[in-house]
Amino acid sequence: MSTEHTSAFRLVTALFLRRFVDNDLLSPHADRHESLAVLYACVVSLAVFVTFLLSTTYLSAFIQLPGTAALSALGDRFLYIGGSVTITALAALMAWDALALEPRDAAILGPLPIPARTITRAKLAAAIISGALLTVGLNAVPSVLYPLFLTLNIRGTQGSTVVRLIGGHAATVAMAGCFGFFGILALRGTLRLLLGERRFHRVSSGVQSVLVVGMVTGLLLVPTVRSHELQAWTMRTTPPAWAARPVLWYLAFNETVAGHLVCEIPVVLPPRFSSASYPKQEDRLARASYRLLLPRFAELAPLAWLALLGVTSVAFVTFLWTNRRYPGPSVSVLAQSRLGAWVRRLVERRTSEDPEAEAGFFFALQTLARSGPHRTIVAIAVAIGLTHMLIVLAQRQAPAVEPAAPLGAFGIAILLLASLLAGFSRAVAVPAEPAANWMIRSAWLGDDRRFLAGVKRAALAALVAVPLIVLLPLHVLLLGVVTALAHTLFALCFAILAMEALFLPYRKFPFACSYVPVENPKIVWPAALVGLLLVTYGYAGLERWALQTPARTTALGAALVVMVLFVKAVDRVWRRERRPIVFDDRPRQATQRLDLFEGVAIYE
Amino acid sequence: MQLRLEARSLAKYYSAIPAIRDVNLTLEAGTILGLLGPNGSGKSTTVSLVTGLREPSAGQILFNGRNIADNLADYKSRVGYVPEEAHLYTFLSGREQLELIGRLRRLPSALRTRKIMALLDLFGLIGAADQPISGYSKGMRQKILLVSALLHDPDVLILDEPESGLDLSASLVLRHLIPILAARGKLILYSSHVLDYVERLCASVVVLHRGRIVAEGPVPQLRAMMQRESSLEEIVAQLVTTVDPAGTATAIADLVALRA
Repeated sequence: MSTEHTSAFRLVTALFLRRFVDNDLLSPHADRHESLAVLYACVVSLAVFVTFLLSTTYLSAFIQLPGTAALSALGDRFLYIGGSVTITALAALMAWDALALEPRDAAILGPLPIPARTITRAKLAAAIISGALLTVGLNAVPSVLYPLFLTLNIRGTQGSTVVRLIGGHAATVAMAGCFGFFGILALRGTLRLLLGERRFHRVSSGVQSVLVVGMVTGLLLVPTVRSHELQAWTMRTTPPAWAARPVLWYLAFNETVAGHLVCEIPVVLPPRFSSASYPKQEDRLARASYRLLLPRFAELAPLAWLALLGVTSVAFVTFLWTNRRYPGPSVSVLAQSRLGAWVRRLVERRTSEDPEAEAGFFFALQTLARSGPHRTIVAIAVAIGLTHMLIVLAQRQAPAVEPAAPLGAFGIAILLLASLLAGFSRAVAVPAEPAANWMIRSAWLGDDRRFLAGVKRAALAALVAVPLIVLLPLHVLLLGVVTALAHTLFALCFAILAMEALFLPYRKFPFACSYVPVENPKIVWPAALVGLLLVTYGYAGLERWALQTPARTTALGAALVVMVLFVKAVDRVWRRERRPIVFDDRPRQATQRLDLFEGVAIYE
Repeated sequence: MQLRLEARSLAKYYSAIPAIRDVNLTLEAGTILGLLGPNGSGKSTTVSLVTGLREPSAGQILFNGRNIADNLADYKSRVGYVPEEAHLYTFLSGREQLELIGRLRRLPSALRTRKIMALLDLFGLIGAADQPISGYSKGMRQKILLVSALLHDPDVLILDEPESGLDLSASLVLRHLIPILAARGKLILYSSHVLDYVERLCASVVVLHRGRIVAEGPVPQLRAMMQRESSLEEIVAQLVTTVDPAGTATAIADLVALRA
């Protein structure tokens, strides 16, 4: 490459990197650097927090035996590797459309005297740098701390062993991260190559959503895998879950490269325990168990290299091939299925007297289905519900008898609905397209109640009725026909109640106000998660108790109906007084949040 | 009753920086008022205040003698607005976008559908009605904006560069449409940089410069004021241009020709 082209390549790469951050997603007033710093700090601090959490066992142990440490470290490493794969894959999915040349690239860069090849390579380089930065941010600190903490209380550990463990861990998680990132790039490129530009654009958003659901579910399930399960998977006594196989390859790679060193550390007991036989015996057993796994690890380890080589090659080839020309403008027609058209006609007939509610209903459905950020929020909510369902189903020992059905079986639908509705309440706060908000502002006639009613109906149809119908066969299988039907009805009432309660304090215009992020996410999100679990299982327990006798069932049904009516009445009273809606609410600046902002008059 | 829209002593400040000051406008039924001025003169701010999308920092806007802030919803129901930039919901199709606007404006279902289909047809968009707007050209988006503004038969039409991006035939249609609407008693505020258009369409113009009105009145009156028989373009250039256009053009050409 000539100097001119190198310089152009650098400039365009920097431009694409900035665009990965500035993805035109949320508030036009948001501070990009602050958002990036907060995101990066979240990733790094989460990784450090997990490391300390995992290491408490090793740090608090008075006598740490190498054999047992080697075995229990398998589960921890599986978590690190699985986290690295899924988080980098998720990052790639978030930038799904930006992973290829876009029409705006053609519009901005096309007229410049830069070869198309340089622009394509710059895009690829920007994608790689973004993935690398995320992988490093996620894994750098745990790669040093975890091996250090693991061996801190193992007497007789040499410095060179720790260094090798750190190197092995870092290499493994970096490779796993690359596998996740390039895996998504390869999948996207392959689909684009096989389907062609037009058909790919038609299925692209659907594929992205399915993959987000899959990756978030995978990320949430990774911590549930225990060391003994890994041993069984490695020894093939139970077949490993399909999605866990790549993680297992990288675990095997780590154990082959450095992980086995822990098992080779000699047992050195404190002087007053030196004659005790029990620790030594325990360590011998653990070492034997670990060493049994080593031949299988040696078999699996090359798959890690091969898989990385494979996905990287496919990603590069398909990227360079499918982006050799600038993309053309999209001319697709928004397809509507017969069912969709029938539902549309039905809703229009039912709501023709209430056009604002109709507007809210259709606009909510269109935004949830077609806008990237909204689809992602719904996908994450589905993934949370799906993870819970898989955990409950995995723990089910025997077919349940109706009155004593497991609590988890009642919780499946409730947690899914609660998660979807919580996600929906966040989604309405995100503008469908910030620059287009003026349309709604100039067209709406001052009463948001009817529009909001339509939006709620859309959520009830898409995020409550559809999941309940989909889950009905599973509920019949788990609870029996009668209980399943009753449970479905109760779940519907619960969802209506939850929806009304969530929207009680809502005083914005759905999908049309600027986005104001949560100010204190480190408190709000964990509290919301705990609240979600408490509400779900509290209600599931109540429902299971109520479904044991007809009298209790009737009482619960009546109580739910009364509560729904009460909340609706409160909502009606609260909204009677018209308050102006602030469309352009801006997030407070850091100087304001820290009280460093003196009373400067702002005239607007 | 004759419609009348009046802006009195309007001012708008953004973080204490004045965008417009002491702007007075009057629109009467059947007339088209041209709003002119260079970039940054305060045209778009004035338009956003007159549409009711922003509140003035000082002054008031009276519609038929009543302050629009007293019943903004009622006023907005009678306004059609074409903004300067064609920002639309790109994930919706043209038809869906218009359906959304029609529903928010409480148009009855049958009338709404009939109007949307007929207007899409007349603007030559019927073939693209179900395509997502992300694939529309600038001119197609501009036509959607025009249809959105006209759908509910507004009494007040506020058009900010409405001809932007339109092809020749659509441009000609617009040039004929605006006087027809004015003749039917609509109040029309027409903001544009295309002075040829404004000269043909508007009976009266207001020229803004640095947030203040520097001239207003019918074009012949402005000519008389400037004491010369010149085009509107020349008059406006004389009023608002602080640089020597020919000299600046030569300087640009000379600068462009510089080589290492």
